[in-house]
Amino acid sequence: MSDVARFGHGSRIPGWDDAVDLTKAPAGVPDPATTPVPPELRSEIEAAMAKYPDFRSAAIPALHAAQKLHGWCSPEALEQVACVMRLTPGYLTAVATFYDMFYMEPVGRHRIFVCTNISCSLRGADAVHDAIVDAAAGDPDFNIRSFECLGACDIAPMASIDGEYVGPLELADAERIVEDLRAGRPVLEEKNIRRRRSVDPGARRSATRDEDARA
Amino acid sequence: MPRPEVKFVTFSIDGREVEAPEGAMLVDGAKYGDVEIPVFCYEPKLGEPVGACRMCLVEIEGIPRLQTACSTPVRDGMVVHTQTERVKEAQNSVVEFLLVNHPLDCPVCDKGGECPLQDITFGWGRGISRMVEPKRHFKKPLELSPLIAIDRERCILCYRCVRFSQEVSEDYQLVLHERGANSFVGTFDGHPYVAPFSGNIVELCPVGALTSRAYRFRARPWDIEGAGSVCTLCPAQCNVEFTVRDERVLRVLARENAGVDDGWLCDKGRFAYQSIHSEERIVQPLVREGDELRAVSWERALEAAAGALAKAKGKVGAIVGGQTTNEEGFLLQRIMREALDSPHIDARATGAAVPLELQRALAAPGLQATVPDLEFAHTVLVLGTDPIDDAPILDLRIRRGVRRHGVKLAVATSRPSALDPNAKLWLRYAPGAEQAFVAALDAALSGADGFDALAEAADADPKALLALAAMLTADSGSADDGAGGAHGGEDVVIVWGERLGVAALPALLNVAARLGLDGRPGAGLLELPAGTNGRGLREAGVQPNAGPGLAEPTQADGKSAREIAAAAAAGELTTLYLLHSDPLREHADRRLWERALERASTVITHASVMTDAIREHATVVFPAESYAEKEGTVVHPDGRLQRLRPAIGRPGMVRSEWQLLTDIAQRIGHDLGVLTGPMATQQLVAAVPFYAGLTLEEIGGRGVRWQEREAAAAAPAAPAGPFDAGTPAPAPMPNGALRLGTFRSIWASTEVEISPALRFLAARQQLEISPADAERLGLVTGDRVEVGADGTRVSATVTLRGNVPAGTIFLGEATAESSATELLGDQPRLVEVRPA
Amino acid sequence: MSQHILFDDIDEPGLATLQVYERRGGYSSLRRALQMSREEVLQNLLDSGLRGRGGAGFAMGRKASFLPKGTMDKYLVCNADESEPGTFKDRELMQKSPHMLIEGMVIAAYAADANRSFIYIRGEYELQADILEAAIAQAREAGYLGERILGSELSLSLVLHRGAGAYICGEETGLLDSLEGKRGNPRLKPPFPANQGLYQGPTLINNVETLATVPHIIRMGGENYAKIGTESSTGTKLVSVSGNVQSPGNFEITLGTPAREIIYDLAGGPFPGREIRFWFPGGSSSPVLLPEDLDLAYDFNTLAQAGSMLGSGAIIVVDDSVPVIDVALKLAKFYKHESCGKCTPCREGTNWTVKMLERLETGEATPMDLDIIASVQQQIMGNCLCVLGDAMAMPLGSMVARFRGEFEQHIEEARFRAGLGAPPEPSEVEIAGVGN
Repeated sequence: MSDVARFGHGSRIPGWDDAVDLTKAPAGVPDPATTPVPPELRSEIEAAMAKYPDFRSAAIPALHAAQKLHGWCSPEALEQVACVMRLTPGYLTAVATFYDMFYMEPVGRHRIFVCTNISCSLRGADAVHDAIVDAAAGDPDFNIRSFECLGACDIAPMASIDGEYVGPLELADAERIVEDLRAGRPVLEEKNIRRRRSVDPGARRSATRDEDARA
Repeated sequence: MPRPEVKFVTFSIDGREVEAPEGAMLVDGAKYGDVEIPVFCYEPKLGEPVGACRMCLVEIEGIPRLQTACSTPVRDGMVVHTQTERVKEAQNSVVEFLLVNHPLDCPVCDKGGECPLQDITFGWGRGISRMVEPKRHFKKPLELSPLIAIDRERCILCYRCVRFSQEVSEDYQLVLHERGANSFVGTFDGHPYVAPFSGNIVELCPVGALTSRAYRFRARPWDIEGAGSVCTLCPAQCNVEFTVRDERVLRVLARENAGVDDGWLCDKGRFAYQSIHSEERIVQPLVREGDELRAVSWERALEAAAGALAKAKGKVGAIVGGQTTNEEGFLLQRIMREALDSPHIDARATGAAVPLELQRALAAPGLQATVPDLEFAHTVLVLGTDPIDDAPILDLRIRRGVRRHGVKLAVATSRPSALDPNAKLWLRYAPGAEQAFVAALDAALSGADGFDALAEAADADPKALLALAAMLTADSGSADDGAGGAHGGEDVVIVWGERLGVAALPALLNVAARLGLDGRPGAGLLELPAGTNGRGLREAGVQPNAGPGLAEPTQADGKSAREIAAAAAAGELTTLYLLHSDPLREHADRRLWERALERASTVITHASVMTDAIREHATVVFPAESYAEKEGTVVHPDGRLQRLRPAIGRPGMVRSEWQLLTDIAQRIGHDLGVLTGPMATQQLVAAVPFYAGLTLEEIGGRGVRWQEREAAAAAPAAPAGPFDAGTPAPAPMPNGALRLGTFRSIWASTEVEISPALRFLAARQQLEISPADAERLGLVTGDRVEVGADGTRVSATVTLRGNVPAGTIFLGEATAESSATELLGDQPRLVEVRPA
Repeated sequence: MSQHILFDDIDEPGLATLQVYERRGGYSSLRRALQMSREEVLQNLLDSGLRGRGGAGFAMGRKASFLPKGTMDKYLVCNADESEPGTFKDRELMQKSPHMLIEGMVIAAYAADANRSFIYIRGEYELQADILEAAIAQAREAGYLGERILGSELSLSLVLHRGAGAYICGEETGLLDSLEGKRGNPRLKPPFPANQGLYQGPTLINNVETLATVPHIIRMGGENYAKIGTESSTGTKLVSVSGNVQSPGNFEITLGTPAREIIYDLAGGPFPGREIRFWFPGGSSSPVLLPEDLDLAYDFNTLAQAGSMLGSGAIIVVDDSVPVIDVALKLAKFYKHESCGKCTPCREGTNWTVKMLERLETGEATPMDLDIIASVQQQIMGNCLCVLGDAMAMPLGSMVARFRGEFEQHIEEARFRAGLGAPPEPSEVEIAGVGN
């Protein structure tokens, strides 16, 4: 039998093993008098709140905005959002930790989400992921994750790199990705999904017309 | 909102025809047929069912899938099965799934023996485990707060605790992190879960994941007994069950009473039981010898007290604390009036007596709102009180009304209220301008000329006042429930605090009259007295200007609390009797009281803990019973008489206090004719016409509102209004100084300070100040300052609060040190703030 | 060859702009709809027989008709949280023809009498969200959104809401909670969204493709649309084909087209020298089908009768180079990761299933464990709050049932590798279909 995993010190799930810090004050709704919020962030959140019948709907857009500013959902970021939205930072913690795109720890600037779900993995995604990890060689500037289905199985294996979908990827693309990002170039431009045309033979009007003519 | 009528329907469960209230969830409906459906996440007090644990799956004919009985309402003719193979399989499955990651460490679990997971596993589980994979192992237990320990291995993610935090107390501090099997209960960034009601999650937890740090491993369920009584730590008078082991209270649980507490407790009520067994408790009589108080025999102490009282006939003043029972108060006022010729007895910490005609008008049975009315009224106005501090459990009830029944809430206070975020409208007035504010509201309702001047005198926003008036007189028109049609308009409940002050009462009565609150079911006034049993003591005659039953006193009016202090300080009264009261801490104008106590030749007190006042001034100290030891009755703010029953024996030489009072009377030559506790109750009932015929049996475990009994007709006739609201003095203009507002925090009490578990919450003096004033004075949060007026200063720590109105600061009363009462006289104050 | 409705000339340059879309006749269906009464529009939707394209396949017109009458705020929500593994049709549609969706939404809102609408798009679709946002601004500018649209009585606001990465938000009530700014936990039903949905108000929720079809139904007339496809599965459908095929992509097919035609003729079939082992007909949540099922007509009812489902219209093809257990574990891990954790069977069932499947790999399992895996899937099925639990249990259960022989072989090999058993007998029979 393999060793039974014991998680006496530090579990795989962040937070599980943490007691609270009894020296901290309870985290209620932050008082605006003592919680400075950058004005751009405040106005972005307030604009989002105005879009919905219930201001709480702006929680995700507000967290996106704060994450963009702070790089991650830091306690400070959450407190700022909480202060503008008049919610507790706890409420926002519950929301933020539910979604994969919010980071509760600092991460690298460049997001590389490699899809390793079924359709991509059938076409070699796991190896591509590993190749990109190797190519980045631990550079803290890169935030490389294997991600669930990104909805682009037509270009499998693929990745979302700083929000741009590229694929189909080959192992050799790994180096290019890292280089392009470091150089500040668009990544693998020729494989960007913006450029992909439909493979459905009937999707072009001319094709349909031909079909009609024959019928 | 009209309360829904309950109709009964017939449905079939496991082959039996059962009648149950229509719309009840099947889980509850099944109980009418003696069928138990197991649940974990279902708890109606937490709001809508969530159907998360899936433990309650049942088969309903005509529906292909199994349904959650917690979320399926009973309907007429429904056919339900809970014992079929399919249901059993589902139940077995859910139990098996729940145990997949539960450590089954029952032998060392504090919940063992009273654990729903144990019970349900035994009753509905398969009895075997097929899971051979390693379970999760984590550090445990961890601190969630100084009061609560969390064991995340045991958690079955039923969501009860986080739902409580979000949907009941609405503090949104305790939340779920992550998702799926990684979900766990926690707080933001490692902050402790400290909130006024946090302890309820321990009682809600169906496993041993959340445990009370004060109770952990103190007892097993088979070691303990439960004893029902009432918590007397605040006017909310929640019904509690003391967990008793070997004559010690080890825990306090809620004893749900929909008319009082809805089954919740605040943390003070839940944990301050520790004060009962405090080392600091006074457990024997003390008598002053020179500079020192010495433990003496009862004989000596009684002799000393009776001797002093007998000598001081006509010159005794008595101050009665809020935790005094009706019987104790009643007996003391008899002694004062009948034997000592001193009708100077008062229980109002505000210091001033309320004219009898106003009292009678306010006590009119038809004008009283009940606690459940808070939940079903159309509109609730919270006036001059913050329930979170003055009667915490009502804060939850008001939130529940807003959240679940769409109650429109308005908050009118001088200090920002915890309920502001829930209110449709909140408005502020200057502290000390209560009279002007209520008069302005009355004028806004009537459209009288003086409105603008009154609003200005109160320093209140006239637009907001008019909006409030419109809100209170709104007529949704949709209410065709009879009551709405007959009265027009909507049901309004005004919750007001005794702290509003005497001067504001005529206007308040006029407002009530304008809104037609008298005699309207579901509407009315609900006063939150400053003391726990404030209402009962007044009705028992513990006030200078009225006898029991709000009767005209047979003698001339006595002195009010403030007048007693002044008279004692002037040497007109020589003996003070402090029944459970520490005026230095609780009454305004500490300096006057210091002089009074200093000058008095004899100070007799009943107390459970040594305080400055006692140490320095008491001549005779009688050890007081704790609320878990007392026998007697108290009256809830809505008129519900409730019964205290002794849960434990008295420690040391402590004796029952009704008996002590009869002994004292005996020794000054006056036989009260009371031989047992119930006899004292009998005398009280006989003396108060509107209690007539009431017995302890009738009061029972749930209490009884006297307004709902026939004898209520004997209540003294309420004088007809309108009442002369007088000419309100305008709020003092700050002009560079700052207005002083005060409040009494829920945590400002001796019980909190001497309970080890709660000590960390004990109120410390904080100066709440607006950002504008703080900037002007160059203060930031955390600075130490001195706040002064007329040569008196108290020190405090600065806390900036964005919602404090500029020009006003707030300080806490009854803090252990630097109480704001030192700065309070009988007039609104302006103060100066200086760095310490 | 299929009729092309949604994908007709989908790559025309500039189609995402209002100018090109209008030039192609865009928004004329809206104009036509606004000439009709709400009831007529609704009747057209009912007549068209259009079934939801998101997964559940519920009749769109009927769903719209469930919304109560009244003057309260009513909501239309477009579910653009396309997350079902193997599904990517909405992405292409939104990216290339955003106005088709917007036009469909305005017409659907008119039919359902909704006055506020939202598009909940998954946070990962950043490009598509940007495109939609630009298109919404253009449409608003042109008077197709906002107050009194085209001078009619209809007013409609439209807000694009970006998600943040959670599969469960594709479940309609999870989506609603997420849109309300909460954790995306599915809600108990009833109440159904038609009565108490977004902000407790009446709410119609439809998939992108469903709504994008609406303008075409108005253009063609509901009854004419219903003539396409089969009687119970009308119209065309975008099918996402992925996995081990030569030409993966989205294809618009007429419902009822044989699956073989889609996989072989359109998507190029398996790579040379490979054979199809099994395929998911409707996303990773659908029970797998075998090669002998390839001649089934691709429509709602036929696939349901075959014990699977059309789901989101995503065909994932797995060839004979891939061990079944790899696919099973991948899927189980996915569902474990995406389970919201609200209800017990899904949260613990997915978690336990992953642990058991991992054990098969380490040699710590015996064939008896397959019975437990199968039984756990049974215990999940039908007992959960939403369909996510079933979404794992269905394909997992079907894989264990259909490929039991291969699983057992795998277990024996792993045990041998771990030094725990005798060398397994080499399997002679082809494995697929054993134990079926």
